[in-house]
Formats: sequence, structure tokens, C-alpha cells
Amino acid sequence: MTDTLAWAARPPARRDRRRATLVGAALTLLVVASGCTGANGGSGTSSGPPVTVSVTGPLCDQLPAGDEPGNPGSLAGQPADQALQWIPVLTTFEAAVRATGLADELTGTPGVTILAPTDDAFAAKFSRTNLDELLLHDTDELRGLLRDHVVTGSLPVAELVDAGSVTTLAGTRLAVTGQEQGARVADRADTVCADYQASNARIHVINQVLGSLPTTAGTEDDHDHTAH
Amino acid sequence: MRYRRTTAGVFSSLLAAILAATALPAQAHGQLAGTALQLQAEPNQVQDVTVVQGAGYATLAWTHVDGATDYQIERTPVADDGTATGNSVIVGVWRPNRQINNSEPTFADAGFAPGNRFQWRVRARFGTTAQPYSAPVAGTTNAHWGDPGTPGQNLRTQWENTLGAQYTSDVNEYAYTAAIDELSDRVRVVEIGRTIQNRPINMFVIGYPTPPATPEAVAATNPLLVNCNVHGNEPGDREACFIMARQLAFTDDPATLDRLSKTTMLILPTINGDGRAANSRGNSTGQDLNRDYSLIRQPETQTFVEMIRDYRPIASYDGHEYGNTNTGDLPMLPPRHANVAQGIFDESQHMIEGHMYTQGAKDGWWACPYGCTGANVGLGEETILRNTLGLKNVVNSLLELRSSGGPTRPDEGNTANNRRRKTYSALWTFNQFLAYHGARVGDITAARAEAIKFQSANTGRIVFRGSRPIEAYPAPHPGDTPPPVDAPTPERILEQVPCAYKLTEEQYHGARTDGPAGRQTTVAQRLAAHGWKVVKVADGYLVPMSQPERGLVPLLLDGQAAEGLVAGERVAPTLTGTHNGPLTVSGVACLDGATVRGPVRVQPGATLIVNGGSINGPVDASGAAGFVLTDSTVNGPVNVTGVRGPVVLVGNKVSGPVNVVDSADVAPLIAGNTVNGPLGCTGNGIAPTNLEVANSVSGPKFSQCASL
Repeated sequence: MTDTLAWAARPPARRDRRRATLVGAALTLLVVASGCTGANGGSGTSSGPPVTVSVTGPLCDQLPAGDEPGNPGSLAGQPADQALQWIPVLTTFEAAVRATGLADELTGTPGVTILAPTDDAFAAKFSRTNLDELLLHDTDELRGLLRDHVVTGSLPVAELVDAGSVTTLAGTRLAVTGQEQGARVADRADTVCADYQASNARIHVINQVLGSLPTTAGTEDDHDHTAH
Repeated sequence: MRYRRTTAGVFSSLLAAILAATALPAQAHGQLAGTALQLQAEPNQVQDVTVVQGAGYATLAWTHVDGATDYQIERTPVADDGTATGNSVIVGVWRPNRQINNSEPTFADAGFAPGNRFQWRVRARFGTTAQPYSAPVAGTTNAHWGDPGTPGQNLRTQWENTLGAQYTSDVNEYAYTAAIDELSDRVRVVEIGRTIQNRPINMFVIGYPTPPATPEAVAATNPLLVNCNVHGNEPGDREACFIMARQLAFTDDPATLDRLSKTTMLILPTINGDGRAANSRGNSTGQDLNRDYSLIRQPETQTFVEMIRDYRPIASYDGHEYGNTNTGDLPMLPPRHANVAQGIFDESQHMIEGHMYTQGAKDGWWACPYGCTGANVGLGEETILRNTLGLKNVVNSLLELRSSGGPTRPDEGNTANNRRRKTYSALWTFNQFLAYHGARVGDITAARAEAIKFQSANTGRIVFRGSRPIEAYPAPHPGDTPPPVDAPTPERILEQVPCAYKLTEEQYHGARTDGPAGRQTTVAQRLAAHGWKVVKVADGYLVPMSQPERGLVPLLLDGQAAEGLVAGERVAPTLTGTHNGPLTVSGVACLDGATVRGPVRVQPGATLIVNGGSINGPVDASGAAGFVLTDSTVNGPVNVTGVRGPVVLVGNKVSGPVNVVDSADVAPLIAGNTVNGPLGCTGNGIAPTNLEVANSVSGPKFSQCASL
């Protein structure tokens, strides 16, 4: 299931100008929330007092913070797959989760640790053509890749480092060493913004794609001619 | 401590308190007060800085400093009382290749959250040596467009509501689109098709006070089109389109309403909804749709081409993002394919270089030729929309948004900043596009009319692949590295051009394997989607070259084509010299530059194609299978009665009455003719059209041809 949209939610085919009145709830979400700059930034997904979540790493400065939509505190109560949608450097990883239906494995108990590579990391790893193939066709392969980025148990980065090594859902053992305030994983990926909290999950943004798929970025199909 | 943006006054007060308590030395924030006291200009200090707020951007302008090699633009968030509420950041680097008039430097700062207040300073650099900063200039940036208290204006997209943290999803798009449709009489949202995964492909049809009711009526208003998002992983332009649709739907701006009263704006936000949802470049099958606009193997591109056929925009922009850091803000490129009519190419270039470069220099946006600082991109593939539309006589341009900030916008490591700059630069472009269209509609329609007549005349060579050159724009603007020449190689040139292609039954109606499973279409369906005229003949189907999209015909139907659809049989002219006496046509005849001194009679069931001919005598085509007459002179009446297939009369001079009556199932095309005499059309199964290319008729125009 690669759709973000449930079939039932789609409007029926129509060519007429006038239809039934809008669903009130949908319209309400669209209208600017005047005078409201709450912690959830209009996301409408969390309620109650703001949660303070401290994330660490050099990339955190570049991500939503303070009272901005998508700030770490606003994600704390959300299912992991939804929290991923708020971290703007994870659009590829997040799309991959949807493409592979991995959300089920990310949202259950006892929880998971997600080592989520940035969009830049994906771009450095896979050619655009290869990435499209993974997202659209080779979703089993992609699922395997993602499961090499997920560890059972919701572990703060400090606990990852203390453990020294962890095993992914795909069965790969990853060495973890301390690296400044974060961690270095499998001797190649560094956490660049660690310790996002989601419901039953920790999300650590990393700067390299893990797993064993070959690197295809920079190859023949990744040159300028695929632009525009 | 980490912050970049502040909306709460409480926070700025808190910060002020911290600053006071820690008694920072007069650096950073303290310097702000210091500069305000400077009355005497320091050497090489930038003077006369002004800021003008735009939609999601702020245009800074200043007086050029002699000897400056570049400038740095600094931005600081400030409270109403001028107190800094955050760090000062270099957000922009102005370089001489940014604009065409270096004497009046400008920079469009963008990326900030709309509505916040900032101050800006500018300093020159001589090489790497920074000169003193200018005095600061402060301003409150424009909030998201629309009054929060006014219905319709208060709509916001998911992207706006999340300050760029999330793109607008498909679900949010449908709700937002429906809300605009519901609340604005100016907008009709038309579902023009569905994607493979059954997502609606919606198009905003916008006019004032209301949009014309039918595609045909829209076509009569010289509409313009923005195709916002073909590659699912390049969504910046799409967000601009949603905002622009809201602006057009609910603005009170008299200039905009005036433009909308004279034309129709078509905004197609999401041709590739499946790819957008999947964050993939291609559609759900992985097909790059921008390599499919001529072949139309996919439902999405077929839908698009049918829309072009029916709504007939005269000008267009096609939105993309470009992953080259070392390029302009807004790389653009015209339709370059060598078969594109010269006037369409020229007018597209004028839109880019004559308008966008000039306006960009005023507003601070860096428009430049695709590639811009050198790259092997921007060639002549007719599968790319830019070229396909040019071959359909649409003045148009590619638009790229530079994906990353690059060296000239160093504060875009923050994803939201980056996304906002891209989207608001696209919004600027699309609004400029509307303004350009309004100012140049006469030139655009003239170029289009000439192009339709030129193509229909079937004169000149055919190039299968290859481009017109893009001349270097004078330095310092980076035309010194225009796109590659891409001249056609000899084996890609056809000098002896056929007058038609003939397809067999199997070629025309046979099942095909290209295209998604279960959704494959035949050649017949695709040619119909393009709107081409096809004549049913005894042993197959004849596609005349003499039609408005002539430059595209061989690219799909010739065996020599680079990415052809089917290898049709070239049908050579049957008469090129002079024929004395009556000419009776049976079967298929093609006259290319021929002279006939005598009457011409097309027998029932026969087909006549005449390009660039001269006929002395009456022409009668009663009961013909097809009748095509272009770029010709006829001394005598032309009677076209009961033709079963296409009738094409384009760019002729006829001395005598012209009658087109009782044609069967295909709308006759009667465009750009000069008729000395009456023009009469009755009883045609579908009323004749002129594609908005008027005929000059000295006598009366009757019945179905009254408005042609």
C-alpha cells in the first residue's frame, strides 16, 4: 500500500462545478488559526501541555524548534510514522515507510529505535532512478533496507552508546560508539539530531544510509540529463 | 539555546532581559543601536538601503559601491522597538552575474517565516575583504496572503500552516481546492482526469467575474497555464500554485482583476499525484512523465495533452526543482526543438530574457538560462513538455527552482527556509507570467497565429532531434554559459519532407504494449488526444503533415524518429510542377508547391492534400474522404461538401466563395485564410473551428462560420 490516501477518502469522480457542501471539519483545518501559536503549531495532533524534548546534534539547529510546527515536543505523543512526517529532512525515509507499509512495525510495543537517514544521505547513496525503483517497484528490497535502520526497544542515544552494539530488525549487528554528544553507528553513520521522542519510539536522524545495498548515486543514470 | 524565529513577544522580552542581565559587550545585538547613530558614512559603506516587502520575500536595494566584487546581506529578527530577538545571519550573497544591470543591485531575501519582523544590513566586499555594513533598514514581512477574517482569503494550505515543515498532502489539496471552488465565483475546479492510482487530476479555471463555461469558451480568451508539479519529488512550485489560486480567487487588486477579466488562468497543481504521494520522480509505474508528453503512454500525460487540445492555452510555465547548487534562483528555458516555429521560440525567449531578467533585476530574483553556470542540460527532446508545448504552438518556459541554497543563499541549511525561498520564488515567477501575458497578449497571439499557418504549410526541413541555439546573454548575466548548442546531426535531418504518413490498420488500431498494464492505448487514441487530423483511406490511415502540429508529426510517425510511436509510411508528393487543364483526383493525391491551370475535382472517397499550391479554377471536393488545402492560392470558388473525414483550410488566399457544408464527424479547421468572397458553413456535424486564428473574409460569413 503506497497511498497516503485511503480510497474511501477520495472524492468521487466529478466534473460539475457545484457539489455537496464541504465537510465542515476539513474546512476548519484549512482556515488560518488566528491568534493561536500553540505548541502544536496548528497540527491539531497533540493536546495538553507542551512536552519538553531535548534533541542533540549539529543538525538540530536546522529543524523545527521552539514553538514552530514540528518542534520536538509536539511530536512526543505521536505514533512514530506520523512523527516522521514532521521532520523535514526525512521526506525520503518517511515516503519509504509508507511505500513499504513499515508503520505497523514502528508503532507497536515494546517500541523501537529508528535510525533515520536524511534526504541528503539518501541522495548520496542512491541515484534518482534507483530511488524511484525502490519506492515504486522494489518495495520488498526497500523494506529490508528500512528494517536495517530499526532496532527493537525505544533507546535514547546514550543507551545505544552504552550498549555498544545493537541488532536491527533485519538481523544486522551494528556497532555503536560515542561521538561527541551523539553516536557513531556501524562505523559510518553519525547521529546528526538524536533523541526525538515519539510514542513508543526514539528517532535518531543519521547522516548515512545503513544496510548493504550498493551505492548508485553518481552513476550513469544520475547525471544532469535526468533533471527537468 | 536554539532559536531562529520568534513569534511571541514574551520571548523577545525574555531575550532582552537576558541580554541586559548578562551585559554583553557591544557586539552582535548591541551593534544594532550603534549603527543607528552613525551619521557619517564610512568609506565604502553601502548607502541608501531600502526594503520592499513582497509575497514571501523582501527586496533589498542599495547604491552600488565602486570596487565592490560582491555584497553580503545580513538579516536580524527584531521586535517592534528594534531590539534584536535573534542572531544576525548572512542570508544572501549578491554577485554580479545575478542581474542584467549591475548599477542598481537588488536582492530578494526569502526563506523567513512570513509575517515576522527583521532588519537588514548590506555590506560590500572587495575580494574577501568586507567593508562596513550599511545602516540597518527594518520592516515587517508580509504574512501569509489573505485576511484571516475574510472567508476564502483565510484559507491556508498544509504547507503554510506548518510553516513549511510539511508539504500539502493529497487529502489537504482536495479539501483546499474544493474550498476555493466553493467560495469563489471566479474559480471552477475541473477534474480533467485521474492518475493510475485513481487520484483526481484537478485544474483551477480562473476568470473574472466568472470563468468561461466550457473549454471552447475558455480557449477563446487566450488562456495561460501553469503546470505546477510533474516530478513528485520537486514540490516547491506546487505550493506556489495553491497560494496563487487563492490570491486570484479572492484578491481585490484591480490590476489582477483586470487581467482576469480579459483571459483565463489555468492552474494544474498536480499532474502526477501518485508520484507526489510517493515522493518519486516518476508516476506510479516509474515513468518520468516529463519524458512522455509526446508519446503519452501514461494516463496522466494523455490527460494533459487532451486538456491542451481542448483549452488551448497560448502560454505556459512548467515547474521543476533543479539539484545544482551553483546556479541561479530561477533557471528558465524556452522550447528549443528545431521544429518549433521561430516566432514561438522568439516570443518564449522574450518572455524569459525580455521580461523575467528585467523584472528579476528589479525585484532581486536571479533568473537565468537553464544550466546557468554551465551544465549539459536543456536539450531538444520533444518528449519534454517545454518542447512538446512549443511544437503545439504554445509560448512557454521551463522553470527550475534551485534545490539548495547554494553559495548565494547560505542560510538554507534549515529545510523550512529552503522550502519557503523556493516556493515564493515560484510564486513571483507565476505572477510575473500573468503580468507578461497581459502586456503581450497581442504579440503572443500573433506569434501563435503565424506558427499555426507556418506549420500547416508544411514547408522546410524536419529535424528529428536537435535544438535552436540559445545565444549567450551579455555578461555579467550568466549567459556566457548558455545551454549546449545541441545542433541536429545530419542523420537527424529530413530534407525531403513527406506530405503525409500512412499507417496500417494494425499500426493505427492495434493493441500496444507501451503504457501501464490494463491502461494501454492505441495510436488512434493518442493521435486523437493530440487533436490531429487523420484521413481514413482505402488501405489505412493518412496523417497529413499539413496541420498545426506538423513539427511533431514525424517525431511520432517516422521510422527515423529518435523516440517514435510507430513507423508510418512516408507519402511523397504526387505533383510538384505545373498541371495544365482539369485535374481529377481519385485515391490519394498530394500537391506540393504545384500549379494547376484548370479546375480541380476530388472524386467521392478520394483525398487531396495541397501545400503551397496555386490553382486557377474552381475546386470541388464533394464526398471526399479528406480535403487539406494550406498556404495556397485559389482563383475560383472552393466547394467542400459532405467530406467524410478532415477538412483543413489554413493560410490560403481564395478569390471566390468558400463553402464547407455537411462534413461528417470531424470539425473542419478553417483558419488564417483570406477569402475574397463569402464564407459559408452549414450542416457540418461538428461546427468548424479556427483555433482563434481569424480569417479575413471580404464577403459575409454564414451560419456555422459566422464567428470564424
